Amino acid sequence: MRLGRGRLAALVALVALAAAPSILGQRGQERGVRPAELQPCDAQHDRGEIAAASQCYQGILRVGGPAMQAEAQWMLGDLKAANDSFREAVRLEPENPDLRVRWGYLYIDSHQDHEAQALFQEALEIDDEHVPARLGMARVFAGRFEGKAMEAVQETLKERPRQAEGHLLLARMALEEGNLSQARKSLEAALRESLELGIAPLESYALLASLEMLEGNRDNEWVDKALEYNPRYGEVYAEQAHFYVITRRYREATERLRRAVRIKPTLWRAHAELGVNLMREGYDEEGSRHLQIAYEGDPYSAKTVNTLRLLDTYDQFETFTSGAADSLDEPAVILRLDREEAELLRPYVLELTERAINVFSRKYGFELKRPVRVELYPNHDDFAVRTMAMPGIGLLGVTFGYVVAMDSPSGRPPGEFHWGTTLWHELAHVFTLESTDHLVPRWYSEGISMYEEWMADPRWGETATPEFIDAVVKDALLPVSELDRGFIRPRYPGQVAVSYMQAGYICRYIAETWGERKLVELLEGFAANELTESNIRAVLGVDPEDFDKRFNEYLRASLGPALDGIPRWRRNLRRALEAAREEDWEAVFAPARDAKEAYPQHVGAGCSYALLATAHEESGDRDAAIKELQEYERLGGRRPDTLAKLGRWLEEAGRDAEAAYTYEGLLYNWPQDEETHSRLGEIYLEAGKGREALREFEAVLALDTLDRAAAEYAAARAWVKIGDLAKARLHVLQALERAPTFRPALQLLMQVKQ
Amino acid sequence: MDAAQALGCCVSGLLSQRGSRLLRCGALAAVVAAGQASAETHFLIVEGLGGTQSYAERFRGQVTEMLSALREMAGRDELVHVLAGTEATAERIESTFGHLAASVAPGDELAVVLVGHGSHDGSAYKLNIPGPDITDHQLKAWLDAVPSARQLVVSTTSSSGGALETLKSPQRVVITATKNGRERTATVFGDYWAEAFSDSAADTDKNESISALEAFRFAESKVEAYFKDSKRLATEHPQLQGERADSFLLARIGDAAQMAEDPAKRSLLLQREELERQIAELTTRKESIPQDEYLEALQTILLKLAELQQRIDQGGEIAEEE
Repeated sequence: MRLGRGRLAALVALVALAAAPSILGQRGQERGVRPAELQPCDAQHDRGEIAAASQCYQGILRVGGPAMQAEAQWMLGDLKAANDSFREAVRLEPENPDLRVRWGYLYIDSHQDHEAQALFQEALEIDDEHVPARLGMARVFAGRFEGKAMEAVQETLKERPRQAEGHLLLARMALEEGNLSQARKSLEAALRESLELGIAPLESYALLASLEMLEGNRDNEWVDKALEYNPRYGEVYAEQAHFYVITRRYREATERLRRAVRIKPTLWRAHAELGVNLMREGYDEEGSRHLQIAYEGDPYSAKTVNTLRLLDTYDQFETFTSGAADSLDEPAVILRLDREEAELLRPYVLELTERAINVFSRKYGFELKRPVRVELYPNHDDFAVRTMAMPGIGLLGVTFGYVVAMDSPSGRPPGEFHWGTTLWHELAHVFTLESTDHLVPRWYSEGISMYEEWMADPRWGETATPEFIDAVVKDALLPVSELDRGFIRPRYPGQVAVSYMQAGYICRYIAETWGERKLVELLEGFAANELTESNIRAVLGVDPEDFDKRFNEYLRASLGPALDGIPRWRRNLRRALEAAREEDWEAVFAPARDAKEAYPQHVGAGCSYALLATAHEESGDRDAAIKELQEYERLGGRRPDTLAKLGRWLEEAGRDAEAAYTYEGLLYNWPQDEETHSRLGEIYLEAGKGREALREFEAVLALDTLDRAAAEYAAARAWVKIGDLAKARLHVLQALERAPTFRPALQLLMQVKQ
Repeated sequence: MDAAQALGCCVSGLLSQRGSRLLRCGALAAVVAAGQASAETHFLIVEGLGGTQSYAERFRGQVTEMLSALREMAGRDELVHVLAGTEATAERIESTFGHLAASVAPGDELAVVLVGHGSHDGSAYKLNIPGPDITDHQLKAWLDAVPSARQLVVSTTSSSGGALETLKSPQRVVITATKNGRERTATVFGDYWAEAFSDSAADTDKNESISALEAFRFAESKVEAYFKDSKRLATEHPQLQGERADSFLLARIGDAAQMAEDPAKRSLLLQREELERQIAELTTRKESIPQDEYLEALQTILLKLAELQQRIDQGGEIAEEE
């Protein structure tokens, strides 16, 4: 079955039957008190005796009240009936917080965390010290990778030290952050408490199996113990897969998920994850099959529904290949572009991808083993579906090994998104991930990608934001050995972005201090499964603590006046903006210059450079205005209208080569602008660069220009320059077919006629 | 300064427009003939209330831009009528239409452009002007009373699509900024419509004049790009209703005017129109002819046209010989 075409689905309401019963249906006391009569059925279920357990729960259905019926219905997979029964149970006992907590877990089981959170909150309003409700809330926070989850769990442990749930939550978060020693401590406590409190130890086993897997021992004793306890406990493999996904080891995750569904074919979330994961590796067809299975078993999963819908949109896309395709070998690059914009984007995306592969292959000494597949999505929601399993929000691109998915430039307003630098960033990930078999820690992979953006073009990459500078000033940066935490579970708003920037600066610091070769050696260390601390020690010869100290000094020196200049910048920029609003250009100069001096990296909206350029222009000094905008451009200014203005000014000043540089930069920023292509094409033509000019005029045609006759004529002139008069004739005839009295085209026809 | 002074004209005439429709080659709608040269196009622009200074300035800018082009396009001052500011009252509009009903000849054409804000109350479209607003029903009655051969009505206002049904007529082209009366947000269409009058990019058939169809397509594409680029939900969807919008010429951007006035070139222009007609006929058969054959035939005609164009550009002496 294929779902109808559509966009990101809203979470599905509880309306259908047959969702998979989850382990969350159990664990009574710590996830809300449940009737004791359920325990014999639970014990059978925990041991994998499904037929017996089902019979047992059926029996409960006939005798129990609404609360008990809800639990039994849930375990039998009838979530809709369970939902109705909980509603009735709560109506009968409105002051019972446990009922609401249980109901909340049912919602978590049906992928509706928001509803679950509301029910946990209601339970806390009845009893603000209710530990299961607080643990439920912590679970919701943890599921969203929110920093406050840790604190919430620790509070419950203070109040109720004898519990397994809190320790399990802490262990999961520690594992997600890569803090294996802390995870082990928590899991030892969780296992001890489970056994002593009479709770099935399956979840502890699964997490211990994941811990040892992350330590390099995949098929460990905890997997055996879990399967010995319950031979159908596919969750143990699904859990391991989750941590492989977190650490971006998708191939290994796929292998685990295949095992999970083999021993438990009704583990729908494993089918869903397997489907998504197969798609990440580029195996859409097989992925689709597992997603269909997942959907049929669990229609509540937004992940499943959205991914199936995304698959349905793929017939709107076109695929292009390049590289060794001509020699019948595998192509080096496979592009998947929306049909509407494929003609426009293909040459630019292909050229940049091939360039990146050449640069990174040489620099990192790694030859790709498979073609790189690059997918651009004009609809951000479609792209978001591709990234759902990733922590962090606001992503522009994501790399799953050899597959890169990202927003298309048309997916965002002009100036908000630089697709060139994003693609370059993602392609660097291909090398850091694949050359280390995905063992590279996240911070290092991101750091290299940020660094490579800066190296590719001075106009690319991110500039230090006030939030980053503020974090430096407040010593809020994480030590290098814990930097992964800043990506996975941020403790303050903006910490993910700060961590990206910090990682980039760290790589730059290493390259500038020890040489770029050390970046490669560090990567080799990670490929050999070294941890950050030992790798830094071995490759750079410094202790991580010492490294942090020295990096901090470097960073502060790099940021220069901006380190203490932000308040001054704000104050003066405000004055300059007010003067500009009043068109008092003379009054703009002093505060704008002061603002620029205080925080020279700022090239965002309303920056000093643009203000000064306008003030100079208004004062009749075009050269000074150009100089300001060229500085803005060099520092990474990205407003397409501002850059287009710079290009025009340079053309007017007869500085065509510089104008071409500006327009070329714009192509990687906002390639949808017809005028940029047209002007650049004319400059190329003037300079005798026929091929380059043709590319630009073909882009104008691909943009479905209103003035098609002019674009065809321009393409004809480019073909004349190239020396192919037959193609020139074809284009000029196409121009004249639309505009028969177009005089320059008629003149050209006289030259190229056959 | 009143609106009329500010605009440089009001109900005063512009340059002579006689014979200016020689170059409507886009659809080969007009064959130049001495007998047809007397047909005239009358223009009426109504600028409604801005409401705020910024809108008032924008609307005035649009009208000024259109007028500048129309001055060059039209032949006589009295063919262009502008009602703006305090003069754009229902009474003045009605009396201007009365004047047009009396002065427009049956073979003439009439083009009316409404600029400003509009509204739709569920039963009628209204143009916001000083005093009582005018409705699409009033407009229809006034237009129907003008005995022109064809009419062009353009409303760049919000809710203007609400007038489409009312103004529908076999001999009338209606252009609106919105697809219905429910698109109530102030529009950007008018800015681009006016821009088309002087932007050579709007001249897609390269005949150095801008037709209503070209201006519409130009503005429509700009509106679409505006909403797409700003990632905003489009609040206006321009509409064109009626046939042969390409035959209404609104602006001239090259030396077409002078050429049209030159009797020495008239026979060459006639020959050129014949070649254009042949091209149009050939393109209708494009799908049924092998590509090489089609291109060859197209080239043959175009080469004749190129040669002819050279003669026209050289002054038409050869034409005299022929």
